[in-house]
Amino acid sequence: MLTTSRRKTIYRLTPYLFVAFPLLIYLIWVIGPMLYTFYLSLTDWDGISDMNFIRLDNYRRLFRDRIFFTAFFNNIKWIVSFITVPIVCGLVLAMILNRSVPGAKVFKAIFFFPMVLSFVVMGLIWSWMYQPDNGIINSVLRLIGLGVLAQGWLSEPDLVIWSIIFVGIWRQVGYVMLLYLAGLQSVNTDLVDASKVDGANGWQSFGHVIFPQLAPITVVVVVISIIDSLRAFDLVYVMTRGGPFNSSQVLASFMYNEAFWNYRMGYGASISVILFMISLLFIFMYLIRIFRTESRA
Amino acid sequence: MTGKKIWGMTIAIIVLFALGVYAGGQKAPAEGPAEKQILIYNSNWSDAKYRIADETVVEMFQAENPNVKVIHSIIADEDFKAAIRAYLQASPPPDVLTWYAGNRMRFFVSKNLILDISDVFEQEGWKDDMPPGFVALSTLDEKQYFVPTNWYWWAVYYKKSIFQKLGLEPPKTWDEFMEVCATIKGDGISPLTIGTKWRWTTGAWMDYLNMRVNGPEFHISLCDGEESYADTQVKKVFNDVWAPMLEKEYFIPDAPAYTWQEAINLMVTGKAAMYLMGQFLETAWPEEMKDDLDFFQFPIIDPSVPIGEDAPTDGLFVPAGTANPELAKKFLAFSGSVKGQEVWVKQLGRMATHKGVDSSLYTPEQRKGNELINKADFIAQFYDRDTTPPMADKGMDAFMEFWANPDDANEILGRLDEQRKDLFDKN
Repeated sequence: MLTTSRRKTIYRLTPYLFVAFPLLIYLIWVIGPMLYTFYLSLTDWDGISDMNFIRLDNYRRLFRDRIFFTAFFNNIKWIVSFITVPIVCGLVLAMILNRSVPGAKVFKAIFFFPMVLSFVVMGLIWSWMYQPDNGIINSVLRLIGLGVLAQGWLSEPDLVIWSIIFVGIWRQVGYVMLLYLAGLQSVNTDLVDASKVDGANGWQSFGHVIFPQLAPITVVVVVISIIDSLRAFDLVYVMTRGGPFNSSQVLASFMYNEAFWNYRMGYGASISVILFMISLLFIFMYLIRIFRTESRA
Repeated sequence: MTGKKIWGMTIAIIVLFALGVYAGGQKAPAEGPAEKQILIYNSNWSDAKYRIADETVVEMFQAENPNVKVIHSIIADEDFKAAIRAYLQASPPPDVLTWYAGNRMRFFVSKNLILDISDVFEQEGWKDDMPPGFVALSTLDEKQYFVPTNWYWWAVYYKKSIFQKLGLEPPKTWDEFMEVCATIKGDGISPLTIGTKWRWTTGAWMDYLNMRVNGPEFHISLCDGEESYADTQVKKVFNDVWAPMLEKEYFIPDAPAYTWQEAINLMVTGKAAMYLMGQFLETAWPEEMKDDLDFFQFPIIDPSVPIGEDAPTDGLFVPAGTANPELAKKFLAFSGSVKGQEVWVKQLGRMATHKGVDSSLYTPEQRKGNELINKADFIAQFYDRDTTPPMADKGMDAFMEFWANPDDANEILGRLDEQRKDLFDKN
């Protein structure tokens, strides 16, 4: 028989024991490497030689590195494109397909299909489509007499990052559409009907009744889009590996390049620390919002 | 769940984790008789044909040494390059690894990570049986560290039918080469194809132009970080030789959109005529068009400078921390021997480093390639093998940027030299 006090202790400890494993795994695989990365960013480790502690030299070098700024601004371009185009297109598609349009199910499936593909597959297929000489995009342009528009989509330094972002958007639209479709199910139809009775036209009832009700979904979509753009790596790596001469580099691919190709682990670590800081900024903004709504509720 | 079980599972997870870490360099359990010796061999020969040759060598070695079991892992080249520093630091590390001669090997030797195998060279008589160039590649401070098992040449490959149609002969001098380019261009064909999506192909142009203009000695000093990229000699290469080719559009348009294999297509379909490429181009060239492909030596620009050629050499080395140095050396001795090298010659048409390999095994093209390299005064490995990895990265980026903006050569080279000073601690 257990004594009451022991029973009490066990009762108190149980939640901690339940959390213990995930916490342990989290410590080993997430927190540990994270702290280690912070430490590495202050060294000049090349993967083999002894580590020299060089304080903030890597960061100083980073802020003089043109590639870092190219990569940084490419990430910004990515974020801006991702929180505008897919959200607008996704919302429009969701609004259209939410009605009983003939073939709505088929279209939903078609728009969602890109989500099923892995980034690597998408990157490879799109690089074939983008091929300047016999890729489908240029071939079609030439066929319909718009040959002047045929481009080296992935070889023009000014164009390349947009060509890659476009592929990301193509994928993201279906995803955003799906999130909004789910959100539309929870829109109170009584309110919509009421607005119609009050004489609101379609635009007015969308702007004043439906869209405000979708606000929580919009926040989720924006956050997901930002995180997805900061994580952008796969498409760049597969389609151009950051080239030509780093015009399409993003922070994640730049970090990978420095750390694993050039064996500059310390320098690579400092890039990922910066990337972490930027992500943290957005995550905090999101968390603060969540806490506010929770405390209000 | 009771506390005991939880602790049990915690321990199990920790043990599993530790095992995972340890397994990096750990021997897998032996199969069959317990007395079998285990040799761990990691290689980067991941392409289908190369894989077969590599496995054949291992099988032959095992057949000769029935008490040895080779645990052979083939890792894709790019992953291999990313992982090799981790392999070398595992304890114990794999017993044998594939690698490249040149700077990439010297770097590891300088960190005491490669086992001295001078005794294998002595015992096998390789100092006499291999041409001095290859022994030199394997040597640092009078000691040998590397077994060169096979190599390939670089040359300008061309499509014979286009040359015939336009009545052209393979050029020998730069002026002849420029004339050939002009004629081909005049016919609406791109004289040269190149795929720079993965930038390394530009390294070949840097190697050859710089060696032909400034000589191999200068080129290697530049790769070693001893010479300046902002030097007038380097600027001459970019402004006077390379830039005019780009301005006259002698290369295919949109080169950065193609990988090196995709760029071959333009040659196959007749949209381009020539390609500066390694011998492995032949394995990617369509079989049925084989007779239409030939190559010539990169044209001579300044006859007064010694001739340097790129002939990258692949081979094996033993990590210094190996648990089985004797067995590993035995495997190296076998791989470098006539028997071992013949596999690469027969199955892949690679070139052997051992003089004892029967020259009748070579095709006429191989004999031509062999002659090309034997005539050379100096053998370079390739830009990204002759210089350090971070320098190669910055260098190839600079070549790519120059490719897009040939007028900015001086500014690009100036920036590149800042990188060199930074990376080689010359500030």
